[in-house]
This record gives sequence, C-alpha cells and structure tokens, in this order.
Amino acid sequence: MESLRDIRQNIKAIKSTQQIMQTMKMISNARIRRAQEAMVAARPFATKMLEMVQDFTQEVLALPQPEDAPESWARRFFVNRSADPSKIGLLVITGDKGLAGSFNAVILRAVMRFIKENKDKQITVFAVGKKGRDFLARLRVPNLHLAYESVGIFPKVSYAHADLLGNALMKSFLEEKLSSVTLIYNDFKSLASQNLVQRTLLPFVPAADVVKDTHEFEFEPGLLEIFKLLVPRLIKANLYRVLLESQAANLAATTNAMDAASKNAGEIVTALELKLNKVRQAGITNEILDIVNGAEALNN
Amino acid sequence: MDKKLILNLVTPQKQLLKDLEVDMVVFPAFEGEMGVLPGHIPVLVQLKEGSLRYKKDGQEGEFAVIGGFVEVVDNVVNVFAEGADLAEEIDEEAESQKIKKAKDALSRKDADIDFELAELELKKSIARMKVKRRKHG
Repeated sequence: MESLRDIRQNIKAIKSTQQIMQTMKMISNARIRRAQEAMVAARPFATKMLEMVQDFTQEVLALPQPEDAPESWARRFFVNRSADPSKIGLLVITGDKGLAGSFNAVILRAVMRFIKENKDKQITVFAVGKKGRDFLARLRVPNLHLAYESVGIFPKVSYAHADLLGNALMKSFLEEKLSSVTLIYNDFKSLASQNLVQRTLLPFVPAADVVKDTHEFEFEPGLLEIFKLLVPRLIKANLYRVLLESQAANLAATTNAMDAASKNAGEIVTALELKLNKVRQAGITNEILDIVNGAEALNN
Repeated sequence: MDKKLILNLVTPQKQLLKDLEVDMVVFPAFEGEMGVLPGHIPVLVQLKEGSLRYKKDGQEGEFAVIGGFVEVVDNVVNVFAEGADLAEEIDEEAESQKIKKAKDALSRKDADIDFELAELELKKSIARMKVKRRKHG
C-alpha cells in the first residue's frame, strides 16, 4: 500500500504538469486567431493570381513552340518535355514540435506510403518543419535526398519563407528535371479538425474552360516575359497559403491535444485524491482501534 | 465623365483595396509610369517598385509598391504587388533603422536563413524610403 506521502507527491506532480498543459493550450489558443486572420487575408491574392494565370495559360501554350528550340522557362511548369519520369519531388510540411496529437504522425504515415509507392523513383525531398525534417533525415532510403529544409518558422510564417521555399522548389524542379512535385500537409478545416492533404503542386494543369478573351490584351513587356514572372509568384502565393493553413492547423491540433491532456490529468487527480482520503481514513481508523483496544485491555 | 475605374490592390499578405471606385490610377510600369483612365484597353503589365497613386473625387491616395503586376480589363484595375504600404504610414525613422539592421546582418554573414531574409527586407525598406523621400521633397 502506498503511503500518504507518496500519493500527495504524485498529486502535486500531476497538478503541475496539468498547469503547464493548460498554459500551452492558452498560448496556442491566443495564437490561433492571428494565424486564422493571416490565412483569410492571404486568400484573395492566391485566388486572383490563379484566375489570372489560368486566363492566359491557353494563350501561352498556344504560342508556337519549335520542336528543336529549348522550351521556354515558364512553359516548363505546365508541360515539361524534358522532365525525367523517374524523378519526382516531395514537399512535406509538418510542425516544429510534437505535443499536437496525431498532427505530425498522420503526415509522416502518408509520407511513408508515398515513398513505398515510388520505390523505383528518385525522390527529391523538401522538408518544412522540424518533425518532418528529423524524420526524413533519419530514414535510410537510398532513393531519397533532402534538397531543402526549413525549420523553426512556425508560428511566425511570413511571405519571405514562402519566397525562399518557392525558389528552392523551382530551381530543383527545373535543374533536376523533376516530372512532378507532390505536396503533403495538414489543411485547416476547423478549430476541431485538420485534413490531411496530398496533392500535386507541379506541374500546373491548365484550366479547360477559359472565360476571358485574352486576344485583345496588350502586354508590357511581352506576354512570355510577364508569364515568366507570373508563374513564380503564383507558386509562392500558393506555398504561402499552404504554410499559413498548416500553421493554423498545427495550433488547432496543439490546443485540442493540450485540452484533452489537461482534462485527463484532472481525472487522474480526482482519482488520486479519493485514494488519498481512503488511505488517510484507514490510518485514522487503525489508530482509534489501537486506542480502544488499549483502553479495553486496561479495563480488563 | 461618369465612368469610374474599379481598383483592387492585393499583396500576398492581404487585400489593401477592394473594389474601390476611382477616377484615375498611376503606377510604375515596366517601361515607365503609366496612367490609366476609364475606358483603357486591356493590358497586363509588370509593376516595378515605386509609387502607386489614385485619384478619387479630387482626392489622392498613394502607396509604396514593390514589384508585381497590373491587370487592366473592363475598367477593372487589379494590382498584384509583392508588397504595398500606405505612403503616409511609412515611418522613415523605422525604415532607416531596418536598413541599418539588415546591412549589419548581411555584413556578419554568419547566419544561414537569416541572411537571405535580411536581403529581402533590405530591398523592401529601400523601396519604401524612396517613395517617402520623393513625396516630401
């Protein structure tokens, strides 16, 4: 049987852990609002940009493209003739810290599945977030190499981070002749849930139906030159949005995990306090019995 | 002239102007300043860093913009800027401190990612300073 002191110490330890968990919950709760606002604010740019690029894609693709000439830079993000089908890219966005329930585990499971499915291909990996980076760096898979990593950017994601990531991504995509880049991350669905998303980031798929007539447009400088600048910005705007989504989702997951953990701690404390009282009561009863027995013995 | 232009100004961070009715927009285009009045032909131009101004009912508004694009179609002007700040809100003191800080970080050359970030910040701050200086002589 545990002594009173042991139980008291146990309760104290759990209570202080609970306090830490509650504090962590409050911190991420406070940050989540700002993360959500940033997410909403970044949306118009990404959607408008996409609309505009879609409008002009058909026209760019329709431009004469001689078979022998090198493919134009921007076009390669849509139809890349020189791509090597045995080479693909993978962008993994996880959190920097654990303590967020299954947030990172879900992503890493999907990553493992992806790697298994593409055993025969060379995979170039881009890792954002410490958890994913560490996991991928530990993996001993010969067909994998880590091309870019970015850790410690949460929860202060800025466009500059998306800019750097985008540059690295585009450089690898073109230089290593990747045939596609797949993105795996957690999307912010609501405060209570996150969605695992796995989708193709590159190459772009041009929209089938274009509503705007772009033929009467004037361009300054030329259409191709502008397109060359448009495409990177679209990619970066997209990445920025994804980073913000992931950031908000991570904070939401942390909040939920910490909430559940501190509730659980509360239950344990209640159970232990009950036990403490029982043990104490048993001790008192024993003492009284001793006294009564002693008195009885004297009387006799 | 009763026709108006609809001006939208968005940056990756946020939407600064949404469906604002204006009479005229002037911005730094690839080949020099470009003014847009209602009825302009559709264009898509590259935006350089500099000042974007608009006139609305005789009043003027000015933003310091940093690179991007402008799309003009059907009297709608969509400005996609890498960065934009309301000219009045630019704090010259703060910007010059930022420039100094960024230059310090660049000269140390010991950090890895901070190095690239600092370079970006430096470019932005310098562009903002330019707009502010021009405005006040």
